[in-house]
Amino acid sequence: MKRRTFMISAAGTAAGMALMPRLAFAETGRIDWYTSSDTNILDFWTNTVAPAFEAANPGVSINLVDGGDSSGIISIGERAMAAKLANADPQADFFESANALLPSGAIDAGVYTNIKEAGLSNYSKVNPLAIESDYSLPYRGSQVLLAYDTTKLAPADAPKSWDDLVSWIKANPGQFVYNRPDKGGSGGNFVRRAIHQANGLDPSAFTVDNYTEEFGNDALGKAWALLQDIAPSLYDGGAYSSGNTQSIQLLAQGVVAMTPVWSDQVLQAIDQGVLPADTGLVQLQDLALAGGFTRSIVIENGTNRDAALKLADFILSEEIQSAILTELGGFPGVSWEYVSPELRERFADIVPTSIPTFPSGDWEPAINDGWYRNVAPNVDRAS
Amino acid sequence: MSEATEAEHRPLIDATGDSRRPTGLLLVGIPVLLMAWLVVWPIINAIVRTIWRPDQTGDYGLDFSSYGFFFSDGYSLANLSITLWTTGVCALFLLVICLPIALYLRFAQGPLPGFVQALAIFPMFVPSIILAYAFIRVLGPNGMVDIILNSVGLPKIRTPYLTPWGPVIGLVWDNIPLTVLILLSGLGSVANQAIEAARDVGANRLQVFWHIIMPRISNSILVALSFSILGIFSAFTLPYLLGPAAPEMMGPFMQRTFREVNDPLNAMTQAVITFGFCIAFGLFYVRSVARNQRK
Repeated sequence: MKRRTFMISAAGTAAGMALMPRLAFAETGRIDWYTSSDTNILDFWTNTVAPAFEAANPGVSINLVDGGDSSGIISIGERAMAAKLANADPQADFFESANALLPSGAIDAGVYTNIKEAGLSNYSKVNPLAIESDYSLPYRGSQVLLAYDTTKLAPADAPKSWDDLVSWIKANPGQFVYNRPDKGGSGGNFVRRAIHQANGLDPSAFTVDNYTEEFGNDALGKAWALLQDIAPSLYDGGAYSSGNTQSIQLLAQGVVAMTPVWSDQVLQAIDQGVLPADTGLVQLQDLALAGGFTRSIVIENGTNRDAALKLADFILSEEIQSAILTELGGFPGVSWEYVSPELRERFADIVPTSIPTFPSGDWEPAINDGWYRNVAPNVDRAS
Repeated sequence: MSEATEAEHRPLIDATGDSRRPTGLLLVGIPVLLMAWLVVWPIINAIVRTIWRPDQTGDYGLDFSSYGFFFSDGYSLANLSITLWTTGVCALFLLVICLPIALYLRFAQGPLPGFVQALAIFPMFVPSIILAYAFIRVLGPNGMVDIILNSVGLPKIRTPYLTPWGPVIGLVWDNIPLTVLILLSGLGSVANQAIEAARDVGANRLQVFWHIIMPRISNSILVALSFSILGIFSAFTLPYLLGPAAPEMMGPFMQRTFREVNDPLNAMTQAVITFGFCIAFGLFYVRSVARNQRK
């Protein structure tokens, strides 16, 4: 950002804060809902979830608020903790996407509702692989898949394992691109899949707190070797796009034949005609590319706690879980046996046998820095 | 009657006697305060926090190790040198492109220069993010240029997208309006009589340019270049979207070190080094302005 632009926006923010209403009260019957997700999620709630919930529960409405990013949600969590101490109104009932461990101490302070004990009728349907804490509710997921151009690669020949993928990339130089791992999850999780590959295909080897420099250098070093090996066969002899959308754009322009994509983004791109309807999607079957779940939280001391719990139960219903698949292009938070057979059939190709995840914690900066130092520059590109 | 004449003789800014009011100071005060708060204070803060740090035992002391790391780390140095390379190449291209445009606009007659000027100023109204996506659609792989070349049976170009030339093209285009405007204002000080006099004694076009025009606008060239160089050196959006993953320019590098690598200390060190370079460019500007006012 240019300094001038920053000055203008900083001044604008300061002015906006001064003009903001000083007082706001939570209303009974109006759930104060916050999200840190992208606009496609907010649109999904505005157009699908909220109208359906309000129709099923007369007298209850949802106040949808974009909390910005995850630090925005954390600060509202901190506000709820402060409100709990002061016995005041936190003006928040429901977080669409949050981490139960943040802000630290929120669970001990009794600010987050124990969803497991709350007696939700649909809780037993939740995919056990996705549960991270009793205080958060995984209701949707997305996973990284490989999207490919079916005019260049027949679906029967699409790679189903890492080794197949590597030999395909080498046999078709310039036809594969993934984005820089810190600039978007599709490339990020492709890199993480390489880390799994280099370390015995065992996602449980990496936990949120087992990063040490020695283990990290060893485990990541082996993955960098794998990625350096394919680099000369990538698009333009080792170029990396600068985000999820840019990868999809390169695929859409017919520049590359295959790229890793987020499931929800690619289904939306196909839906909007950015990608042709016959775009192929395939998941590696030896170990799927990593993905993640979005977890919701109910605020224990919120004015509308009971209504918010009703909402939590509602988003696990078959109606919303099917809509997550068909309209959002995400994965359901409930186990696959609770999804209608017709949808299970339709999305069979992208249904993973497992949903590997990769922890954040200290691993994330190590991966981000290591990739730039070891994989990105080591290619001699004529420019 | 005498009052009226007195009023006529009053200078535009009255700096004498009891009419000296703090209004002027107040007007200047707001931007100066904002500058101090949003620019000067963060700079001092960053410098102090990168060199006055606690050691292992928690005692504060002078510590230049983060600077030592930057200047011994090949990756960081490669990023610094690509930034300097991009800035230098952009400055050269800006001069080569903008000087002829400005000369044309100054001396051409008729309605056409109006359109040329509008075209030259147009990039000013295009946000850089839109420029970046337009660039990808036109010059990117299988973009409009490729489609046109293909339709007349020519081979595709090797696209500059995701190479160091991507940001160069984008930044040059983005900085054309400012450079043209500054050069044009400089050319305003070249008197037509001086050129006509030179022509009368038989000077050709090149001689007129070199001996009459250049001496009068060298200052404007310096100002225009230091302005664009300052912007280009710290550019973020265009190198981020159009440039290669590595080496990266200082703007994206700093942002990534701060957010993605969670390393505020090294990000601040990179920032201090970046504004060290910017101060050097800024001094050129200040010196040329000061020299101009002395004249």
